[in-house]
Amino acid sequence: MKSIFLALLAGVLSIASAQTIVIQNATVLTITKGTLKGSVVIKDGKILEVGEKVLVPPGAQVIDAGGQYLMPGIIDAHSHIAADSINEGSMSVSSMVGIEDVLDPEAIAIFRALAGGVTTANILHGSANAIGGKCLVIKTRWGKDTEGIKFEGAKPGIKFALGENPKRQGMATTQGTGRRGAADTSNLRYPGTRMGVEDVIRQAFTEAKQYQATWKDYEARKAKGETVIPPKRDLKLEPLVEILEGKRLVHAHCYRADEILMLLRVADDFGFKIKTLQHVLEGYKVAKEIAAHGAGASTFSDWWAYKVEAYDAIPYNAAVMVKKGVLVSLNSDDAELMRRLNTEAGKTVKYGGLTETEALSLITINPAKQLDIDNRVGSIEVGKDADLVLYDKHPLSTFAKVQKVMIDGTVYFDRDKDVSDRDQKQLRKKQLIEKEKQNQPQQKKGFAGGARRPA
Amino acid sequence: MRFLLTLLFASGLALAGTNDSFLIRGATVFPVTGPKVEGASLLVIDGKIAELGTKVTPPKGIKIIEGKGLSVYPGMIDSATEAGLSEISSVRETSDVSELGDFKPQLRAAVAVNPASEHIPVIRANGITSVMVMPGGGIIAGQAGLMHTDGWTWEEMLIRRGAAMVMLFPTLTPGFGGGAGGFGRAVGGTDARRTYERRIRLLKDYMESARRYQKAKAAAAAGFKTDLALEAMLPVLDRKVPLMITAQREAAIKDAVKWADQERVRIVIAGIRKPGATLADLKAKNIPVILPPTQALPLEEDDPYDQAFTLPNEVYKAGVKFAFGTFANQFSRNIPYQAGTAVGYGLPYEEALKAVTINPAEIWGVGDSIGSIEKGKWADIVVTNGDLLEVRTEVKKMFVKGKEVDVESKHTRLYKKYLARP
Amino acid sequence: MKYRIRFASVFALLAVAICAKAETPSVIAIKDARIVPVSGPVIPKGTVVVRNGLIEAAGASVPTPSDAWVVDGQGLTVYPGLIDALSTWGIPNASAIESSSPSRRGGFTPPDFPPAPSTPAAAPGPIARGPEDRPSNTSYLLAADQVSPADRRVETARAAGFTGAATFPTRGIFAGQGVFLNLAGQRAGNMVVQSPAGLFLTVRTAAFGGGFPNSLMGAIAYIRQIYLDADQYKTAKEIYAAHPLGNKRPDYDKTLEGVLAAPRVMMPATNPKEIERMLKLGHELKLKTVLYGVEEGYRAVDLLKKHNASVLVNLKWPAPSREADSEATDSLRVLEMRDKAPSTPAALAKAGIKFALYAGALDRPQDAARAVKRAMDAGLSAEDAIRALTLSAAEIYGVADRLGSIDKGKIANLVVTKGDLFQSGTEIKFVLVDGVKYEPAPEAPPASPEATQ
Repeated sequence: MKSIFLALLAGVLSIASAQTIVIQNATVLTITKGTLKGSVVIKDGKILEVGEKVLVPPGAQVIDAGGQYLMPGIIDAHSHIAADSINEGSMSVSSMVGIEDVLDPEAIAIFRALAGGVTTANILHGSANAIGGKCLVIKTRWGKDTEGIKFEGAKPGIKFALGENPKRQGMATTQGTGRRGAADTSNLRYPGTRMGVEDVIRQAFTEAKQYQATWKDYEARKAKGETVIPPKRDLKLEPLVEILEGKRLVHAHCYRADEILMLLRVADDFGFKIKTLQHVLEGYKVAKEIAAHGAGASTFSDWWAYKVEAYDAIPYNAAVMVKKGVLVSLNSDDAELMRRLNTEAGKTVKYGGLTETEALSLITINPAKQLDIDNRVGSIEVGKDADLVLYDKHPLSTFAKVQKVMIDGTVYFDRDKDVSDRDQKQLRKKQLIEKEKQNQPQQKKGFAGGARRPA
Repeated sequence: MRFLLTLLFASGLALAGTNDSFLIRGATVFPVTGPKVEGASLLVIDGKIAELGTKVTPPKGIKIIEGKGLSVYPGMIDSATEAGLSEISSVRETSDVSELGDFKPQLRAAVAVNPASEHIPVIRANGITSVMVMPGGGIIAGQAGLMHTDGWTWEEMLIRRGAAMVMLFPTLTPGFGGGAGGFGRAVGGTDARRTYERRIRLLKDYMESARRYQKAKAAAAAGFKTDLALEAMLPVLDRKVPLMITAQREAAIKDAVKWADQERVRIVIAGIRKPGATLADLKAKNIPVILPPTQALPLEEDDPYDQAFTLPNEVYKAGVKFAFGTFANQFSRNIPYQAGTAVGYGLPYEEALKAVTINPAEIWGVGDSIGSIEKGKWADIVVTNGDLLEVRTEVKKMFVKGKEVDVESKHTRLYKKYLARP
Repeated sequence: MKYRIRFASVFALLAVAICAKAETPSVIAIKDARIVPVSGPVIPKGTVVVRNGLIEAAGASVPTPSDAWVVDGQGLTVYPGLIDALSTWGIPNASAIESSSPSRRGGFTPPDFPPAPSTPAAAPGPIARGPEDRPSNTSYLLAADQVSPADRRVETARAAGFTGAATFPTRGIFAGQGVFLNLAGQRAGNMVVQSPAGLFLTVRTAAFGGGFPNSLMGAIAYIRQIYLDADQYKTAKEIYAAHPLGNKRPDYDKTLEGVLAAPRVMMPATNPKEIERMLKLGHELKLKTVLYGVEEGYRAVDLLKKHNASVLVNLKWPAPSREADSEATDSLRVLEMRDKAPSTPAALAKAGIKFALYAGALDRPQDAARAVKRAMDAGLSAEDAIRALTLSAAEIYGVADRLGSIDKGKIANLVVTKGDLFQSGTEIKFVLVDGVKYEPAPEAPPASPEATQ
């Protein structure tokens, strides 16, 4: 009997692979090149042509969008799905760990995000550490294996975190919960203040520079023919060296204006850039400084007051930063919110009066730029990956729902098919439960294969 | 002097020029209990709706609000919140949601509502004029209060003090709240079952002692002593106040309904996620439900991805009366989108609107005073520049009991301040 | 010749004197039995001659030596003794091999909260803050030093047809070095066939809030750092040995000594993602990787084939939790997994992947036969099943030159049955370990119905 689970996955994959596809009669929200009523031609997973009138190549598969809305796949710059672990919380600098080592391509959250129009996500390490672990960009290619969901060629990144989370283990009592005993301070983890967070980052980069020098010295002496013992490789410091060399993007979790500014200055001092500030809920207070540094900002639409450092969060944050010249995106940080980033973007029309294109940019081209993948995704443009979402209504509307999602020209989600497959799945489940029940008593019986001893 | 003031006040009334009388002119009005009226005039006198129609003669000197291009809706009601009970959820000191103990029906959430909470204007500014403020924790958590989102004191905010008695029905499958619940894990085991059975027994015993108390009191039995907790149960036993019972899944809902039958109490089921076959029963027994956030993950891995999106329509089709609740504080302002998402997945638009206005008003026993734009009701009114349930729509003006209230909040203040930063 | 016979008798007497159980003469001939050598075709009727603990001859026309103690093999089958390819048998009080990963049972396990670690509660003191503290690392521990014939499971295992086991310490991330054992001996030293047999790795970690590593990603990074350290350590020691002048003396590190001593590394993996993860890690670190667990190997055949992987499949097939009585049922994915897991051995055999089966995770050795039978019901041929519990296991541990099949000169580890192995009703008549005969204790009287309730 063939596995239904696999069959369902295979079914998805068999639809429309490397061939020419034309999506006709769509309201195409290109994001970067305006909105038009027309068609998108896809060949070998890439966008070949976008226009009001296109020639349908012979043999092409035609999808009639029925006037519905076609937009680029949503990009979530901050997610924690698709991984078997998220945080190595024992160290204040955990740069040695990485999401790539623990990817879970079968996590149901991938499918759910896909069904919410997300085609690309930056999977970040948690925020318990001033310098956290390495992150990884994936595409939500549901049904593919670990290699298959990676966004091939995306620049590697790393998580930093400021404020309450990285200092939490340095407090004698955990505020609110009172879980940690006040008396026992022996196992507290440095730092316990925002001052200490800065110190940890500065110490780490100072160490990284020394490490860089140690290896350069070794290579030089070795090149001269000297017999020298090689230095130890340090997996914690190597990613920091990559940051210094501009090879790894820094995504920094932060809330308050003071800590945002602190990090920008630390980066300035060590000569590297902060690629994005994550959450950055008080970004609106220091938008000028953020824009001057050139950091992007990836924020929530309207979360606030869930902790002290989020008490000055405002839903106008994204709009203020946009108006002050910051490259802004909206992220989810949450498997549920991830499924409706379109309406999260819609909120910025209301809070701060962004235009619809500006609003949609927050979840498409802007996060693409923040992840350095805008040459591949983030807008409907010729030559880009055919990562597309079809909505029945305008995607910024509360009432819109995703109809189809395509990645690299392959349809990975089709609402009609998903709905019609449900009964089959339920039936298979029932059969298996029944089968297991029948086998159970048999399993409990003794077996004469091995000689038994009295107990 | 006093006489003079009174005279002035009285004459003001006569002129209908006080701050709770006005006329909105030329707007599209959605009364909810009837069809929408375009180009309508809505007259409010002394905080109450006086007239709605296309031809309304305004009393002389009344304040006139031009409504052209605007839409007018009754204020929305969030049927489950922590508004005013909690300020910063991670800081214990700012939270007054959960009291110690399993049975504390005497607790009244209303008295702990901080009218100066920054959350209240934030929630209000999205068109929410009333909230059910729920206590939590234990088995019988206490009394939820239905409050206006405006008032100098909690007393002024109060619409109905003991609108419901909140109860968390013991369940084998833990995990109520928040709404995420993505851990599709078969938890349980003998420990869970033992705890469940013990709690069910505790509940039974508690109801039993409440009934004995009721009898003893009625009989004025010798040695009768007032017990504040059991005293608070009397309106529940008398079916005057409904028990708002949280139950997510089929088995828990079934248990709760069966229990309510046995105990002969009136109930509202709150937070249903996977009601299964219980909907028919809820319909038959006329038990209303409070729906949790539509924006929630499915409970189990195999559940359809749109389980939470389609639930409201499923409940509607079963004929069960329902209202929406956010079960939150910071997201209470998003209740219109909770309803809107359900519309995207099949719920008729009018029903979605009812579920945040007239339905909750009726469920909480105030259907005659709020929840729709009808003559004689309080003028709890929201004026918008578009569809109330649409995420891009802005609320332009709001009235609570006919008094115009601020749509400004901490958020708009900070916005303006920092937008102007040089 | 005479001298030898006499010597043998003396030896036999000596053996009797030492152990009342062992009355085995030094020469045994099992005559007229069906022989399954595993390394070659089945011999329908033949003789196996065992002398001084080794197989002297086996074949259809092998003469019975005059000095042999003859066993009438009519109606009996002789197999190489079964090998438990991943075990804790032989280490007294060791618990069974734990499930290789938290996802195995299929119930959802929130990330970073794996089952309670099997390591005893950490001694008071500072908690580990990085790999340099070498937490959860006893790579230098030798199972060979912990083995004792007194472990009661040694006897029950023999009764179930097992004569050998690859036994490991299993606590911690770098648990320690295994030993390849014979499941009998007067002393621990008699039992050891090969040590070390490999380094046992787990990815079990402390819970969040504990010391390093407290996440799966931390455990993997730790493993990676340790191997990088070991490379550098080796190089540093070599350079220092040759050039002590002007170079700093490398610090001694017992954990790295242990890592460097291991001939192979046992890595846990249940499903395709874990298999892919561990194979890649092994490849990256240039390890000789042996995967264990691999219950969902049926879904990863191409991957395993591509990496030319060696695999140890857990015979403790995933089963539903007996305690589950909540409304939430297991997911379709988990149900499929439980249904299909026993087909893994067949799938691996069909693809020509090197695999062995292990019983070390089972509650009792005697449960192995039924578990193998389930794999056979799911398509595994009898021949492949037997090979997976004999020669293949020996090959994976590099001891196929001395045991694992019935070939001349190999260690005389045999199991003799009435009926085919792994079938219900089959009786294990006796086993030979190092040529010494052990009979299972008589069948226990059937338990009264009350007792089984």
